[in-house]
Amino acid sequence: MGKIGLIARREFNERVRKKSFIITTIITPLLMVGAMVLMVWLMGRTNNRDKEILVVDRSGIIAPSLSDEGTIHFRPSEQSLEEMQREQPEGVYGILVIDEDIMTDQRGANLYTYEASTVETEEAIAGQIKRIVESEKLKAYDIENLDRILAEIETPITLQTKTISTDGEMKDSSSTLSLISAYIFGLLIYMFVITYGTMVMQGVIEEKSNKVLELIVSSVKPFELMMGKIIGIASVALTQLLIWVVFIVVAGGAVLNIFAGDMMAAAASMNAGTAMPAGMDPESMDTVAMLSRLTDFGYILTLIIGFIVYFIGGYLFYASMFAAVGSAVDNEKDTQNLQLPITIPLLVSFFVLINAMQDPNGPLAFWFSLIPLTSPIIMMARLPYGVPGWEIVLSVALLYLSFVGMVWLAGKIYRVGIFMYGKKPTFKELFKWMKYKY
Amino acid sequence: MEILKVENVTKRFANHTALDDVSLEVPRGSVYGLLGPNGAGKSTLIRIINRITAPDSGHVYLNGHELAPEDVYKIGYLPEERGLYKQMKVGEQAVYFAQLKGLSHREATARLKTWFKKFGIEYWWDKKVSELSKGMAQKVQFIVTVLHEPELLIFDEPFSGFDPINANLLKEEILALRDNGATVIFSTHNMASVEEICDHITLINKSHNILSGSLEQIRREHGTNIFEVEFIGDRTALATQLTGKGFSLLEADDEEPSAVQKLKIHIDDHIRIKELVSDINSTVEIRSFREIIPSMNDIFIKAVSGIL
Repeated sequence: MGKIGLIARREFNERVRKKSFIITTIITPLLMVGAMVLMVWLMGRTNNRDKEILVVDRSGIIAPSLSDEGTIHFRPSEQSLEEMQREQPEGVYGILVIDEDIMTDQRGANLYTYEASTVETEEAIAGQIKRIVESEKLKAYDIENLDRILAEIETPITLQTKTISTDGEMKDSSSTLSLISAYIFGLLIYMFVITYGTMVMQGVIEEKSNKVLELIVSSVKPFELMMGKIIGIASVALTQLLIWVVFIVVAGGAVLNIFAGDMMAAAASMNAGTAMPAGMDPESMDTVAMLSRLTDFGYILTLIIGFIVYFIGGYLFYASMFAAVGSAVDNEKDTQNLQLPITIPLLVSFFVLINAMQDPNGPLAFWFSLIPLTSPIIMMARLPYGVPGWEIVLSVALLYLSFVGMVWLAGKIYRVGIFMYGKKPTFKELFKWMKYKY
Repeated sequence: MEILKVENVTKRFANHTALDDVSLEVPRGSVYGLLGPNGAGKSTLIRIINRITAPDSGHVYLNGHELAPEDVYKIGYLPEERGLYKQMKVGEQAVYFAQLKGLSHREATARLKTWFKKFGIEYWWDKKVSELSKGMAQKVQFIVTVLHEPELLIFDEPFSGFDPINANLLKEEILALRDNGATVIFSTHNMASVEEICDHITLINKSHNILSGSLEQIRREHGTNIFEVEFIGDRTALATQLTGKGFSLLEADDEEPSAVQKLKIHIDDHIRIKELVSDINSTVEIRSFREIIPSMNDIFIKAVSGIL
């Protein structure tokens, strides 16, 4: 086994055997599932809270046609607005006052609430009033069978989306799924690069403060030591990732099969190329399209391979920078300043990520998915939407080329830095170190 | 033949020159002392020999050929700044370091077991380094240094941090290694240890090699030409006998009248020792006669302060 291999193996064994690794590996997915469940539960709770709205209708047109919608309940008011202003009636969310000229004045409806109202509530109330006013106006035209006509012409639309690939094949696409994948994968790379990059830096600082370094570099080259550490920690990250992927596939598959067995069957048949089973309502058709993408082996494989390629490239690029920073300082407190060239591009990536999720082929997303500093995160955000092959090839090539360059530079700083004790170096000094002959 | 030869090595850092045209030869099988005040350039020279850093100019030869990457397997190095991974188990860690020095896992384990048994520390194997005391960790470190049975051993300030008992143990081990054919270089500014175990030295000061050679030769060269005689007899008669012949008497211990008296004599010329001895012999009864040889400490201080 080569020396880099020996060093990498030590790093791997030391870290994987740690209790903290085992605990985070098990706890993190549970925490994430827990957080999601909690979020859904809390959202359900607020939505379930009934909102009672008292209606003061001066026009006499609106109130009779208002119907309870979701958690909003309407009730005619027995008191005047002034009385209720002085004292809040028990359990009342707000007061809706309709002016006499509501048919002609678009500002004729007023909602007074005892707490800040929500966009959702306002939209629901405005929507109802709009529909009532519209139908009142229609009635003025005296059309026969108006109600039946209105019922007949009401048509809900669910847009069916398909993407045409370069070889002319059509695929179901689900922008919801793409959006979610873009966010999750982009964020995952961001988190992994920071977590494991910091681990590299801490490892270097630990070796330096343990004074174990000089003993090691009398047997191996500093560059081998740095690469061994980076590779060892990368394999820790990949191990953790693998455990999580297995967990998600097993747990997710089980959940889907239990709760959405028929939809899974439909999705499978869609993947097989047969027609969508008849008699399925449009709402669940959308879910089926999503599931069909999710269970589409090729699509998932592209995402996973893309993730691994970009994770490795991005991690190696940033980890070598982290190693250089770690080598230059004596303790972690001194790293903040030197970490700026690492944290700023990562933060920028994070903000561009949000843009790229919404406009995956826009110029911002395009350029930032080519620049090696940001490409791992941004390209992962674009990948779920489908990216032209040449862009991926170019972006990966640029990333890996610059990673080689960065490792080379970091190695030069590292070599000098590990023997520098006592003073906090500046960027100027780091540049000088790169030019040292060893 | 020498095992290690350093030829005109120069190493500059940004603000200072650590080594300026330093040359030295380490004879095979010797215990070679590398002396010098702090900051003289000893550690830089040791790092160059260990290939941790490269010289700006000059060459280093091991066994007659220029130092190559695989030579690290032939060198054992105990740095002055020594430490171990605190969270790693002792045995596992020692095996790891041995593997980095080219031993197989099996070979390293077998040799370590022998050494641990020799030092009576087998029960440390599964302990974490953080559970060991500083002295205990030093022992482990010493074993790691010598485990791959290198031809050349380099100890940088080996006795610092050891208690007297362990320092003595270490000294004996170093001499035993020499007797088994290894060559030992050690850097120190502890002169007592130099006199006890070194047979050759090099004194580095302000990046220059200012003094090199075997301990015996150096002391002789820096002899003070002062001799001490112990005798029984008439002191005044002896003084009279010696005056006016180019000998100067340095001390007259007449305040302490005892049977055996001492006298220190300086002679201008080594060749006249016989003459001196016969002069003394003709007057008093000689009990002992010896040259006052300067201690390494004196030579060191004189050399560094530029008196030599």
